[in-house]
Amino acid sequence: METLHSEEMILNIGPQHPSTHGVFRLVVTIDGEQIVAADPVVGYLHRGTEKLAESLQYTQIIPYTDRLDYVAAMLNNYALVHTVEYAMDLEIPERAEYLRVIVMELNRVASHLLFVGAYLLDLGAMSPFLYVFQEREMIVQLFNEICGARLTYNYMRVGGVKWDAPPGWLAKVRDFLPHMREKLKMYDALISGNEIFLSRVRGMGVITQEEAVAYSLSGINLRSTGLRFDLRKKRPYGIYDKFAFDVVVGQNGDCFDRYWCHFLEMEQSLNIVEQALESIPDGPVLGKVPKLIRIPAGEYYTSIEGARGELGVYIVSDGKDKPYRMKLRRPSFVNLQILSKLLIGQNMANMIAILGAVDIVLGEVDA
Amino acid sequence: MSEEKKPAAAPAAKPAKAAAPPDPRVVAATALADEIRASIEARHGAGAVEETGAAKTIPMIRIAPDKWRDVVTFLRDSEDHRYDYVELMAGTDYKDYIELVIYLYSMKRDAYITVKTRTPRDAASLPSLTPVFPGVNWEEREVYDLLGVHFEGHPDLRRIMMWDEWKGYPLRKDYSDFDNIPTRGGEPR
Repeated sequence: METLHSEEMILNIGPQHPSTHGVFRLVVTIDGEQIVAADPVVGYLHRGTEKLAESLQYTQIIPYTDRLDYVAAMLNNYALVHTVEYAMDLEIPERAEYLRVIVMELNRVASHLLFVGAYLLDLGAMSPFLYVFQEREMIVQLFNEICGARLTYNYMRVGGVKWDAPPGWLAKVRDFLPHMREKLKMYDALISGNEIFLSRVRGMGVITQEEAVAYSLSGINLRSTGLRFDLRKKRPYGIYDKFAFDVVVGQNGDCFDRYWCHFLEMEQSLNIVEQALESIPDGPVLGKVPKLIRIPAGEYYTSIEGARGELGVYIVSDGKDKPYRMKLRRPSFVNLQILSKLLIGQNMANMIAILGAVDIVLGEVDA
Repeated sequence: MSEEKKPAAAPAAKPAKAAAPPDPRVVAATALADEIRASIEARHGAGAVEETGAAKTIPMIRIAPDKWRDVVTFLRDSEDHRYDYVELMAGTDYKDYIELVIYLYSMKRDAYITVKTRTPRDAASLPSLTPVFPGVNWEEREVYDLLGVHFEGHPDLRRIMMWDEWKGYPLRKDYSDFDNIPTRGGEPR
């Protein structure tokens, strides 16, 4: 008996597709329902941030970083100012460091919440997306009060932060924590045990530890394979060595572990915020920094644990007030590379589940 | 005249003061880089390493371009080094040459190192690292796209940020062709 003859077909997804989280295009070759090859096409949002930075002073670059990973802009702000501070060996006032940690960890919670909502939306569940926006809205409101913006914060400065917390703000954050913990429990109860959800994500898109390291994955994509690699612990920057928190790791490296790590990491972030609120001192929020910031000639690279992985900034300086070259190590861009490997052999219906769990933000992929 | 001379003498004293206490972290990083250099040269010959030093506090080694892939493979596989994780790859146009730098991390030994190499601006070409580290695939495509470095042995070398009709390499320092950007149809604006 002859085998059934099948023909390969090319299917184009995006760039304007609701499940691609932005303008991302994926060209998949399918044989029936099975994916034979997948070719991600990126660059639709490329704005040339690195090139633009070469003609901007360091403080002027900060708002540009807001536009990279626009759901976790506080972390982007910090990645840039941290490299400049590292290059200049600056001392940062204690209160500024605490405020930074509070807003960064709150931003991580907001970003992870959005991931959970959007991921469930990808899988066909509409309501979680609307639910998580309630809590995310609270965090965004808190940011609005401290820096006057809901999304593009432009809050950090070289040497500290732009604004001190307004009166009563810290108390509001303190009140938010128990509320958020309760809601996390609710979401956990609603989602994590759901039979339909589990059968879509368990054992799906498995990444091994060796693959994760070879593909330079970072953040939850790396930790979901069981590697305890978190830059906040590995190479504590700022004042992260003062806080007690756990590095959340997965076991199987599948989509469920990636989802689950996001969940558990939110709890850890809330713990960090709680500790920071307990011990935040009074004092100035901006250190003594020259008006015109000049970095000594040389090259500098530091990275922080962003919401999506290792977020780094590489600066080559020739001693002037503008960078000679600035390179952004964008975790989404590096993490996305493994997608075409994960998709091969999968059923077409699993494609969105796997793409969603890689957790990309296209503003960051394309820079 | 004598009043004018005095302030001129003052800045001359300053560099001498600054040079007196070298940063111990830089000294340690340079010493480590020299150690690694010896280990590379024992394996790949005296010409493999062109320069050692420190990038701020991280040991820095500059490798001859023709040994680029061999030495990076050696740094990944050798039991003494085990630099198995690429943190960053970045290219920079220095007007006389283009420099490619990678920051490596060893998961096993918790150690960092910076490895660089240089290639001339006209006919910029380097061996690709994608066969060694699949994670630099897109990074190399980005360097190719924006800086015009050809990667020998790359499985899929094409533009990644710009579209295929794009002329020139935007991150090069002499790039100024903003007014003649080809449109999607390929015709100048």
